[in-house]
Amino acid sequence: MIDTPYALGVLAAMALVTFGLRALPFLAARFLQSHPLVQRLGRFLPLAIMTLLLLHTLVGSARQNPSGPWAELAAVTAVVLLQWWRRHALLSILAGTALYVLLRNPGLAG
Amino acid sequence: MAGSATHLNCSALMPTASVPSHGPRPPRISVLSLSIPVAMGYVPLGMVFGFLFVQAGASWWLALLASIFVFAGAAQFMMIPMLGLGLPVASIALATLVVNLRHVFYGLSLLNRLPAQPWARWYLVFALTDETYSVLTTLPPGTSTRQMVAVALLNQGWWVLGTLLGALIGTQAQVPLLGLDFALAALFAVLAVEQWRSADTPAPLWVAVLSYAVAQAVAPQQALLIAIGLSVLAGLVWPRTSPREAAP
Repeated sequence: MIDTPYALGVLAAMALVTFGLRALPFLAARFLQSHPLVQRLGRFLPLAIMTLLLLHTLVGSARQNPSGPWAELAAVTAVVLLQWWRRHALLSILAGTALYVLLRNPGLAG
Repeated sequence: MAGSATHLNCSALMPTASVPSHGPRPPRISVLSLSIPVAMGYVPLGMVFGFLFVQAGASWWLALLASIFVFAGAAQFMMIPMLGLGLPVASIALATLVVNLRHVFYGLSLLNRLPAQPWARWYLVFALTDETYSVLTTLPPGTSTRQMVAVALLNQGWWVLGTLLGALIGTQAQVPLLGLDFALAALFAVLAVEQWRSADTPAPLWVAVLSYAVAQAVAPQQALLIAIGLSVLAGLVWPRTSPREAAP
């Protein structure tokens, strides 16, 4: 059994640290906004970070999948192609997820 | 535990996304349609968190408090075994700092985009998970404050709802289908495609792939953080090739 006051202390510390990290750039906004390097990062980072988040999620899923990374590769390829072609976010996400669930649950296909 | 690495990965996703608003505008995307894929990731993942947290011996309402006030998927999953071992608060706080360090970079690209009203602004800063960041950066410029707050509240609502369900179901929790949380990967893929289309150059994508490969080879446990650090360095030294940069 986990001690409740202890758990509350842990949660409070985690909440403070997490909020502090998220707030830091905004607290330092005046300095950051005047800095050309920061502007450049704001342009460069979004695509880089999105790519990293995607890679990291895929690697995480693939590690949990005993039959290798093929299901992840197939599903993400489907999502990227669909999105490039139709530009319909919900359609791409639903179709890709459905394909992935089918690949991971072979019983579903009959 | 076997699943913890994956959970960390999933939560790592939660807090961030940045959006370039240059180039051709992405098509209008409704708040709800952006929140549904997040729900498909957050509800099952939140259930897993609530379930594991209760299994570790904590009360269900503590799981709920964690999802309301911490709201950081990876850190929340990371904390479960540490809490179970009774580690000092300071060491759990330090681990949270490392796991969530990437959030600092998320705010950078949103500096000019968040509303000025204090409550809306600070709630959005608080709620800046990977997914909410992704969605916020995809909203067209000029999106109303209400819509931005609505999308963040909806997203956190899914996470809290999942946590509550998982905690209440407790020991009987059996996710019926494997792989529903792939919706999060699909969301990132869609957002990466849209960023790619509106970017001046695909270079950040290749920098990210390379950084991630290096980070995985060097320190797989901290791959995301290291890769973000490498990408930031690359972004700082990257030559300005964009004609828009000089434009007013």
